[in-house]
Amino acid sequence: MSYATNGKNAVQAEGLVKHYSSGKDVIEAVRGVDLRIEAGEVFGFLGPNGAGKSTTVRMLTTLLSITSGTAFVAGVDVARDPDEARRRMGVALQEAGLDPRQTGRELLVLQGRLFGLSPNEAATRAEELLALVELEDAADRRIKGYSGGMKRRLDLASALVHEPDVLFLDEPTTGLDPASRLTVWDELRRINGRGTTIFLTTQYLEEADQLCDRIAIIDDGLIVREGTPTQLKAELRERRSLASDPTLDDVFLDATGRTRVAGDVQEVSR
Amino acid sequence: MTQAWVLGQRALREAWRTPEALLPTLFIPLFFLVVNVGQAARIFPSHSTAFLHGQGYGAFQLPSSLLLAASFGSAALFLVEDIEGGYFDKLRATPIPRTAIVLGRLIAESVKGVLLATALVLLGLVFGISVASGVLGFLLLVVLAALWAVVFSGFMLSIALKTRSAAATNSAGLIFFPLLFLTPNFVPRNLLTRPMEIAATLNPVTYVMEALRSLILEDLVWSKILYGFTVAAVLGLVMLALNVRLIRNYD
Repeated sequence: MSYATNGKNAVQAEGLVKHYSSGKDVIEAVRGVDLRIEAGEVFGFLGPNGAGKSTTVRMLTTLLSITSGTAFVAGVDVARDPDEARRRMGVALQEAGLDPRQTGRELLVLQGRLFGLSPNEAATRAEELLALVELEDAADRRIKGYSGGMKRRLDLASALVHEPDVLFLDEPTTGLDPASRLTVWDELRRINGRGTTIFLTTQYLEEADQLCDRIAIIDDGLIVREGTPTQLKAELRERRSLASDPTLDDVFLDATGRTRVAGDVQEVSR
Repeated sequence: MTQAWVLGQRALREAWRTPEALLPTLFIPLFFLVVNVGQAARIFPSHSTAFLHGQGYGAFQLPSSLLLAASFGSAALFLVEDIEGGYFDKLRATPIPRTAIVLGRLIAESVKGVLLATALVLLGLVFGISVASGVLGFLLLVVLAALWAVVFSGFMLSIALKTRSAAATNSAGLIFFPLLFLTPNFVPRNLLTRPMEIAATLNPVTYVMEALRSLILEDLVWSKILYGFTVAAVLGLVMLALNVRLIRNYD
């Protein structure tokens, strides 16, 4: 029985905390995050720079140790059984971690082999993924010659090589031009349409509004808002007695204690 | 082991596609060989220098060049690139044993070590050096040099994992020079001054060098050969364990 039919969440975290030591100081990057994401959801994780988004993602994806709290991905405890958790998740981080000296095909075949596929299975899977992200023509070129958008799409494909239950994407469209961003959005919709749960961090509120079923906003290491985009906008409209629906930008600024000043965003004291 | 091998193949592709990182590892040791022989060969004529066993001074110096070539591995700098570019995290996010990540790099270094050592010894043969221990000795020579490449690459990988800095990793590599010169580099151990003899005796590189030298100058002297292989194997295992520990605790 799969984790979803077993009544388990795709992602579940309770009291997730991460402290770093810096000399005598202790930096509290994440101060107690609770998350419950259902199977098949596209979940957006938003927050200002340094709020704890990437740290949370790195803990959930086994790349960072957890100071305290628990985290489960596809029903697997990421701290107790990291290898099993890694088999259930795909990860594409901010840096589009690719090896520039390999070709796109080589990278995908290698990734498949690392997830236990035979050479033939890995080659077939690489072919499927290259078609999915429309990189067949560039498949045998070295990655160092790829554009930013192509690298992002290849990174996405490499995260899908083992058909994960949950896909973690840390700012997958940062630095992309609008056309490439729309292409990535289309691919994410297709991937989600096949049943993969997507956990997405982004700086772009429009992206969250377009793609996400639910979002959470983290600020200063704590989740300060959580709900569907519609719910969060309605809550702000009601609380502030606004005449019209606010945007997700307004929700974000309200949640993080920032405000617009002359077209810019400025932090206000709380 | 399959995963270590596919990562090793990837590291070999990387090396093949970056020849500019590979060529100096052949050129610099050859340069040292030529310079050292040019400076000291007349002091040690082969007909009257017992420790040369009838060969020229180049044969005595060849092990230093083999060790130097084996210590110029680029694995650690490629690892820093992986760390900085995010690919290292991609590997850490796969369900492979952490040992495979280290072993992949070390397998590639051992293959490169075999090729470099073979090239250096063959060049030595062209210039009149002979391997007194025969074909088996030649094979042991190449394998021991490659094993040392694994040891030193393991040390460099640990610096890369600890510092995550190309500059720090590059600087750490310079430690090989004091290690190389605190050996019976120019004359046998019994001809060194007492302080240098003590330093050389404490230096593990000495035993690898003496094993390599015995294979070139003498027949199969198993006591020296076993010392060399034992030192390199023990240090190799220590480096493997250290690197696996560093990756497991990598945050």
